[in-house]
Amino acid sequence: MAVNDSQDSATAIDGCESLPALFRKRVADLGPKVAIREKDFGIWNEYSWADYGEHARLAGLGLKALGLERRDVCSIASEVNKEWVFADLGVICTGGITNGVYPTDAPNQVEYLINDSGTRFYFAEDEEQLDKVLEVRERTPTLEKIIIFDMEGLRSLDDPMCLSFDALQDLGREYAETHPEVWDGEIDKARPGDLMILTYTSGTTGPPKGAMISQANMLFMMATVQRCYGVYDTDEQLGFLPLAHVAGRMFYTFTPIESGCVVNLVENLETINHDQQEVSPTVHFAVPRVWEKQFSTVQIKLKEGTALGRAAYGLAMAVGERRAAALKEQRRVPLHLAAAFVVAEALVLKNIRRLLGIDKCRWLSTAAAPIAPDLIDWYWALGKPMYELYGQTECTGIATANLATDFRIGSVGKSAEGVEVALAEHDEIVIRSPGVIQGYWNKPERTADTIRQGWLHTGDVGRIDDDGFVYLIDRMKDIIITAGGKNITPSEIENQLKFSPYITDAVVVGDRRAYLTCLVMIDDENVMKFAQDNDVPFTNYTSLCHTREVEDLIWGEIETVNARFARVETIKRFRLIDQLLDPEDDELTPTQKLKRKVVNEKYADLIEDMYRAP
Amino acid sequence: MALLELRNIETYYGPIMAIRGVSLKVAQSDIVTILGANGAGKTTVLKTISAAMEAQKGSVTFEGVDITGLDPDRVARLGIGHVPEGREVFPFLSVDENLRMGAYTRSDADIGADLDLVYDYFPALAEDPSLAAGFLSGGQQQMLAIGRALMLRPRLMLLDEPSLGLSPILTHEIAGIVKRLNEEQSVTMLLVEQNAKMALDLGDYGYVMENGRIVMEDTCERLKNATDIREFYLGLKDQGVRGKRRWKQRKRWR
Repeated sequence: MAVNDSQDSATAIDGCESLPALFRKRVADLGPKVAIREKDFGIWNEYSWADYGEHARLAGLGLKALGLERRDVCSIASEVNKEWVFADLGVICTGGITNGVYPTDAPNQVEYLINDSGTRFYFAEDEEQLDKVLEVRERTPTLEKIIIFDMEGLRSLDDPMCLSFDALQDLGREYAETHPEVWDGEIDKARPGDLMILTYTSGTTGPPKGAMISQANMLFMMATVQRCYGVYDTDEQLGFLPLAHVAGRMFYTFTPIESGCVVNLVENLETINHDQQEVSPTVHFAVPRVWEKQFSTVQIKLKEGTALGRAAYGLAMAVGERRAAALKEQRRVPLHLAAAFVVAEALVLKNIRRLLGIDKCRWLSTAAAPIAPDLIDWYWALGKPMYELYGQTECTGIATANLATDFRIGSVGKSAEGVEVALAEHDEIVIRSPGVIQGYWNKPERTADTIRQGWLHTGDVGRIDDDGFVYLIDRMKDIIITAGGKNITPSEIENQLKFSPYITDAVVVGDRRAYLTCLVMIDDENVMKFAQDNDVPFTNYTSLCHTREVEDLIWGEIETVNARFARVETIKRFRLIDQLLDPEDDELTPTQKLKRKVVNEKYADLIEDMYRAP
Repeated sequence: MALLELRNIETYYGPIMAIRGVSLKVAQSDIVTILGANGAGKTTVLKTISAAMEAQKGSVTFEGVDITGLDPDRVARLGIGHVPEGREVFPFLSVDENLRMGAYTRSDADIGADLDLVYDYFPALAEDPSLAAGFLSGGQQQMLAIGRALMLRPRLMLLDEPSLGLSPILTHEIAGIVKRLNEEQSVTMLLVEQNAKMALDLGDYGYVMENGRIVMEDTCERLKNATDIREFYLGLKDQGVRGKRRWKQRKRWR
């Protein structure tokens, strides 16, 4: 796709400077080509670009019929599904602003998001999402209409504020007859500087803030993804990450509009693994949590497998590792090794990749959280290059990226074309690019704190080597200074811990303390398996966490990690979080990471206990 | 010491692991209940205890003695009476013969007295002891199955869904008898039930199983008030803002 941009003019893709214009062009050009597949009761239903365009048009015009004005905010609370995407484009093309709400958000969070963003129209996935907004609507004065995607169980719903997504499209159809010029008219009004989406970022200090992403921001990012990775109209993606997150939105909504690739939307969150096997995407982005889960799936299968199977795996991975070592140093792979790899691949590695549904991937990419280097190595050894990239919501996604032609393992890559990355005071990473957001919605002071003279202050500490590769150290506020005055980056230790199949997440504690300790969230499946295999009696999750054997197991994992660090950086004590957490709990982010601040507060007693004399 | 203790039991149906590491305890004189959906593995737990099925792994301890791997008749002789799901009375034998079958392993002189005791508890059975059991109603058959197990003079009775297919009145009656047997004859009960209300009202302690594992345990009193139990087992969910909520919370087992 033709891309043209420079520092002073906005990005244009195929001659379009706004997303609505580009979307209209794609719908017209690609017409009958499949744009979206969505699985429903096990069947992959296809939607062409023409269907996509039509649904978006009807939804957008339906909103116009209900009185949508340019710059009105519409919020969408749903798991990833086609209606999300249709509604999103309908809103954007008619000049509205879309804001994604995580379906796991609690009613009080929904209330905050509606009020902070001034939402007029709210899209709710189903009965459950509807109930949350109905519970708080007395206190959300700006809210006018609620549109429901899935009406199951709501047939008798009679509420003047609510209508179904189908009814909205019917309104749009009527409106189009009387106002045939509005759709194109609104698309033509779009300007690069127009605000297009709000993406709320979880504030570790204070409430969430809505990052304001403009047309130009997003077009720049779409061009960046294309330049970094090359996505073609023959590519297949698996859509499973939440669309309320900037990465999900980028890869499943906007990259397909840029490239014409197909997005396959999973049936629901429980079917992801199965759906991935079926789709076998050709390009795949996921967050570290997902990569970790895939890795531990394989580890468990191996333990259940035969000795022969394990031996074959060991041999094949050894070959894979040696080949990957050569590739990673960008050396030529010796002929004998290449030959051995062909065998290893055919007998073992290919099967593992098929099991995981990554066999057809040209590349794997990871971001949004720190990842253990060993995990990246593992995917390389399997024969799939994994590239780490770095970015933030506040720069609309990517700032730096490892490329197939230019990468260094352990770094997050060089700055992407058009992005300037530098270090400011205290080695804080700062970014200047056409992707840097306009600011935070209705929060000028927070904007002024974060974006100073055009430079986005990321809050991440890092370093940049002589060749321009960026290395992340940690979040600035997370760096631990022990009582002894030693600076410690907890994420480095936590990543190593998370690499253990028994540990899902860990939070290292030790700021102004004599030594380091950590709180550990165990991987329930794997630890239960361990308990079963080793005759450890337990009943539920809590009792599992309190068994001696499990404590010893985790301590063993911690000691393995300790061995890799200097004495001051070793963990002296730990506690297990003995309750099974899910994303509705405050302690977890929607991507299932522990929130350091919440964990520190909520488990203050446990933490204090670790610093008491034994 | 618990009367019965299971440690890390794994039981298979062919290649399928039906019970995946179950550990539980039944204290002397308690009524302990196991709740769970179809296929959770409740019946398999009972069958593993009575040795109708063999555990691949783990141990079963009864009165401090390891009984893992014993033959079913040996387990029965130790005083574990199994009342199977679906009653399983001998249809062509009379009521009296069915009951005597329960005392098959006994040779003492008290059998006659115990027979009278059973007829005492279940007057409906005494009406015509010579009637073939196949002609009894479902409720009477359930009584017969319990009575048959009682003839073993069990120290522990395993009750598998005694309310299955019974009318609410009969269910209530059976529950009352189970309670009385527990109190008057000091028979410890391990009760598997789909009728969660009945089980929780009757029981002292409860376990919840899902997919072959225990996910929750507590006193029945506290289980009755746990959100997940109320919503998934007792149907007492909060009706929500619209007064007719259909969707369910994600289970979190707390």
